[in-house]
Amino acid sequence: MPGRVRKRSPLKAPERPYIALGLEGSANKLGAGIIKHSPDGSTEVLSNVRHTYITPPGEGFLPRDTAQHHREWALTVIKDAFAKAGVSLHDIDCICYTKGPGMGAPLTSVALVARILSLLYNKPLVGVNHCVGHIEMGRQVTGAQNPVVLYVSGGNTQVIAYSQQCYRIFGETLDIAVGNCLDRFARVINLSNDPSPGYNIEQEAKKGKRLLSLPYTTKGMDISLSGILTSTEAYTLDKRFRPHGPSAEDSEDADIITPQDLCFSLQETVFAMLVEITERAMAHIGSKEVLMVGGVGCNERLQEMMGVMARERGGNVFATDERFCIDNGIMIAQAGLLSFRMGFETPLTKSTCTQRFRTDQVHVAWRA
Amino acid sequence: MTGQTKSPSLKLLDTAEKVSQGAEAKIYRVQLHPTPVCSSSAAAESGEVAEKVLLKYRFRKQYRHPSLDASLTKSRVAGEARALIRCLRSGVNVPGIRMVDAPEGILGIEWIDGKSVRFLLGGGAEGEEEIVEDATDEPEEGDLPPEEDQLQEYGISQDALMGMIGTEIAKMHQADIIHGDLTTSNMMLRHPSSRKGLQLVLIDFGLAYTSTLVEDKAVDLYVLERAFSSTHPQSEPLFAGVLKAYETRMGKDWAAISRRLDDVRLRGRKRSMVG
Repeated sequence: MPGRVRKRSPLKAPERPYIALGLEGSANKLGAGIIKHSPDGSTEVLSNVRHTYITPPGEGFLPRDTAQHHREWALTVIKDAFAKAGVSLHDIDCICYTKGPGMGAPLTSVALVARILSLLYNKPLVGVNHCVGHIEMGRQVTGAQNPVVLYVSGGNTQVIAYSQQCYRIFGETLDIAVGNCLDRFARVINLSNDPSPGYNIEQEAKKGKRLLSLPYTTKGMDISLSGILTSTEAYTLDKRFRPHGPSAEDSEDADIITPQDLCFSLQETVFAMLVEITERAMAHIGSKEVLMVGGVGCNERLQEMMGVMARERGGNVFATDERFCIDNGIMIAQAGLLSFRMGFETPLTKSTCTQRFRTDQVHVAWRA
Repeated sequence: MTGQTKSPSLKLLDTAEKVSQGAEAKIYRVQLHPTPVCSSSAAAESGEVAEKVLLKYRFRKQYRHPSLDASLTKSRVAGEARALIRCLRSGVNVPGIRMVDAPEGILGIEWIDGKSVRFLLGGGAEGEEEIVEDATDEPEEGDLPPEEDQLQEYGISQDALMGMIGTEIAKMHQADIIHGDLTTSNMMLRHPSSRKGLQLVLIDFGLAYTSTLVEDKAVDLYVLERAFSSTHPQSEPLFAGVLKAYETRMGKDWAAISRRLDDVRLRGRKRSMVG
């Protein structure tokens, strides 16, 4: 029989309402969100505004151009967030910003905005780990207690479980992130970047029928994705490949490969690997809950596969919609406010950014 | 269910008792020859009891595409059986093989009477839950029982157990087999009262492969080190005991593996999070 160990949460209920502003800009999304923690323990999202930098098909977002985008939109997005929340900058308790991980130039341009606001309005700064932001917002929105977290996005692929005030990484990608793998393949077959390459891959995959053989590379709890991307790309050079679907001379059951088949095969293989390592982590720590966060967590096929796996184990999946899955400011506000309530502040002289900031480097003081 | 075309191994599974479910497979216990067909058989005369067999059933994963699932299951069952055979030939303590049905995903191996090392070290059983309460002034309750009790039954000290683990892993690595998933849950201590006596047995070779590379052996040890620190807090001295025994058994090969292990440890920490 599973035993039960009781623990107490170190986070005290707030004696007054706390409000925090969160600023996020680690990749091509610029987000500002305002959150409120009330004394009765409830959490309220006052506003959550986001603006995405979209590049033409076949191109990714470059750090310099992305930073430029963030600088241009920062004031509009922040003003919009305050207008929607109906509060002013004087009312907030702290300004939370993404310290890392992410792309250097966009990170620093957003941190600069945070620093200036902090000096202008004399508000403390709180540097937040982007991944912890995702996890905390996911826990808040779904109400999952102690889930295994699958964090899948354009820059990160990790299976995370909480233990002893630390989000431990049980498994992760050894090379590129899953979102990066999907996005790059979308560029190879020239899919649009609007609203996101991953979304368009998902739509194309629905039309695919044929499962092509691709490497299946789980290594213990870790996975490797770069080889799969190369193999999928190699199929586009195959003489059976038809970039625009079956041509006139192809018969009904001809041996051809369409871009849709490739999207389908890529998704099926990669997601099967993700579900497998998540299941292994669940078996290891004995949790029945899975929480999916990050941009790829919006993918309905991945959610479906994860749901099947969780049901087989008698558990359930928690997923959020695009408002909270895709990078946003509110998650930074949530994680930042939790650490602020535990007495954590980032002094101005330490308010730097870092591209490399592992999830397990954060001391999770607010959990038992 | 396709009732009439059921394979013999699936029928055997029907008579088995389910013990647990891991990530990969369901574990069943079954008696081979449950009812002796003829009472005058040689087996009955020699007083041999029906042997207990563990069936590891890699059931169909509904979330995976059927053809992908079939090919993975087949290659993993065959791979595990191959690794076990290699270990048995090299004298590593692993469960003996009783049957293999790769297409159905069933592997039958020897049943081991004993407990997992994880349990014996007081790491709890797999699947222990934690509940978080809000901040209150209630006193702490529910302390774990002292862990020494569990080992006493086996008449062995913690240090000796660590030595056995190190030696067994070294034997396996000398045969160029990499376990791929070394954790304290994947090691069992055979009960002293069983026929083969007290023994440390390595189990679950689902991720095993063969390799002569120093790199792979070092990563194998690193995986175990991480497993130790995550399931048994404050276990550094214990793992040092494992390495000591491993070093003794490996002899001159140890120096290279030790150097590489230091590299691997660093690698884990520096590894970047960005794609």
